[in-house]
Amino acid sequence: MQAYEELGSDVHHPPVPAPVSAPVRALSRHSLRGLDGFNFFIANIQTGFGPFIAVYLTAQAWTQVDIGFVLTLSGIVALACQVPAGILVDAATHKRTIAAIAAAAIAVSALMLAAWPILPLVLGAEILHGVASCLMTPAIAAISLGLVASHEIGERLGRNARYASAGNGIAAVLMGACGRLFSNRAVFVLTALLAVPALIALFHIRSREIDPVRARGGQPGTQPHQSLLHGIADNRGLLVFGAGMILFSLANTPMLPLVGAIMTMRSSQWATVLIAACIVVPQIFVAILSPWVGRRSESWGRRPLLILGFAALPIRGVLYALIASPYLLVVVQILDGISAAVLGVMVPLIVADVTRGTGRYNAALGTVGAAAAIGAAVSTTLAGYVNDRLGSTVAFLGLAGVALLGVILMLLFMPETRPAEH
Amino acid sequence: MRPVRHAIVITMAVFAGWLVVVDSGSDNMPRAQTAVVAPAPAPATPPPATAPAPVGTPTAVLAKDKAQAILGKPVTSTKDEAMGRIVDVIVDKAGTTRAAIIDFGGFLGVGSRQIAVDWAALHFSPTGQPERITLDLTRDQLKSAPQYEKGKPVVVLEGSGHTQPLAEGEYPLDH
Repeated sequence: MQAYEELGSDVHHPPVPAPVSAPVRALSRHSLRGLDGFNFFIANIQTGFGPFIAVYLTAQAWTQVDIGFVLTLSGIVALACQVPAGILVDAATHKRTIAAIAAAAIAVSALMLAAWPILPLVLGAEILHGVASCLMTPAIAAISLGLVASHEIGERLGRNARYASAGNGIAAVLMGACGRLFSNRAVFVLTALLAVPALIALFHIRSREIDPVRARGGQPGTQPHQSLLHGIADNRGLLVFGAGMILFSLANTPMLPLVGAIMTMRSSQWATVLIAACIVVPQIFVAILSPWVGRRSESWGRRPLLILGFAALPIRGVLYALIASPYLLVVVQILDGISAAVLGVMVPLIVADVTRGTGRYNAALGTVGAAAAIGAAVSTTLAGYVNDRLGSTVAFLGLAGVALLGVILMLLFMPETRPAEH
Repeated sequence: MRPVRHAIVITMAVFAGWLVVVDSGSDNMPRAQTAVVAPAPAPATPPPATAPAPVGTPTAVLAKDKAQAILGKPVTSTKDEAMGRIVDVIVDKAGTTRAAIIDFGGFLGVGSRQIAVDWAALHFSPTGQPERITLDLTRDQLKSAPQYEKGKPVVVLEGSGHTQPLAEGEYPLDH
């Protein structure tokens, strides 16, 4: 929040043209603060989408069939657009412009949802949001890579994760309150309004400080390979990591909804607060831990941290299966925070490591995003089925088993990817 | 670029502000998807005030305070606790309404459960307040009820808090 206040005070001054001989460090500081703020507000904006759409459309007298259709469609868009969006971001010279268009598109889709929740507009809004989100993740990662030197990237990604999770956590509370005090529609109006500070923060990033070659993981002076998927399909480190991400999201995605349903069953008075805590607690831990993860990734290397993040997930699944008290379940969510802090930094960082010199960084990041999206899409249905048939204990143990496979895969096959010069 | 940016930002802000003003409790706007028909006067008696109907198709008019749409409407307990929203209605083969499916609990869409509650336990505008729907159950009774699932026997939570599966052959035709 501090960074935002500084930004806010800047905003009221008319823009002063920077002197040509301005010190580079001061400019970078300006850009880096802008990136902090952009991460924060984009995370704010994204909180309103997701499961809350179902709540909103239910209140608008939508049938469950139509809601299911909309959610399925947005899942397909989110999956299908990852790789093309990455290729597009790689090819684009102006990464900041892409981030700005994506942010504006998400705001427009929120306004469409708020203004007129009828089927064609809601479908349009969800498609727009899905495509824009697929552009946003690689655009932010590319801007980060392009701004800082390669040995600083771990720390920078740690900061990104810190501000994004602070944004998520604060927005969850804010939007929950907004839905209760005003209306569900007001949540989407608030979402759209948050695009204003996001864009202001974005335009504090100096576009010329983003090195376009470094932003796509390219090598100065060389042209990227002709084939669009060069350095992806034949990249062992990337493929092992992608497979690990499928297993991780397969096990991770259904856990929070299942825990939420258990909260609703076990606590009548405090369920809402407890579920909110389950959402916010991990975000707090991500905000605390991720800069540390970023720094340690340079000194310890990526592998020990990655295994820590993967290993927290099976432990979490087993604890969910064993613990009955809804209050203790909130404490277990700290493990979610550890996993999320590690992966929030490691996904863009490891992909940067394994694609260094190929110029295909964002396409590769999209591939890993698609892998995670496949895992998420399959698992919600699968875990729901197991939960209905065999109960939540079996469902959690099954998810813990899948997560354990991910840990074993990482232990056996994932190489250390930290560049050798360190 | 800068003036353009400012123009975009201001336009968005103005539009969003307009939406807030326009939005006056629209969550509760009645929709004509599932209408609860209050014990109505004899059907097919068109009141004189209505426009002439197409020849051969009699119409009935339900006064605004006599009937309401219920899909998506919030339900409260008699103690005024929030009990969720009605998302579906279960009828048997005779067309009699047997249960309402209520989307109960959760936060921002996480952790809600769908529960079938006895139709007889629901009261529409019980205190004369239009649009108010109450349920003769408490959150405590609702929380542990079995979840409603499509394609499975509907287990209905009765007004007393007991559950009662609908008998064989009574399931709605579309499930």
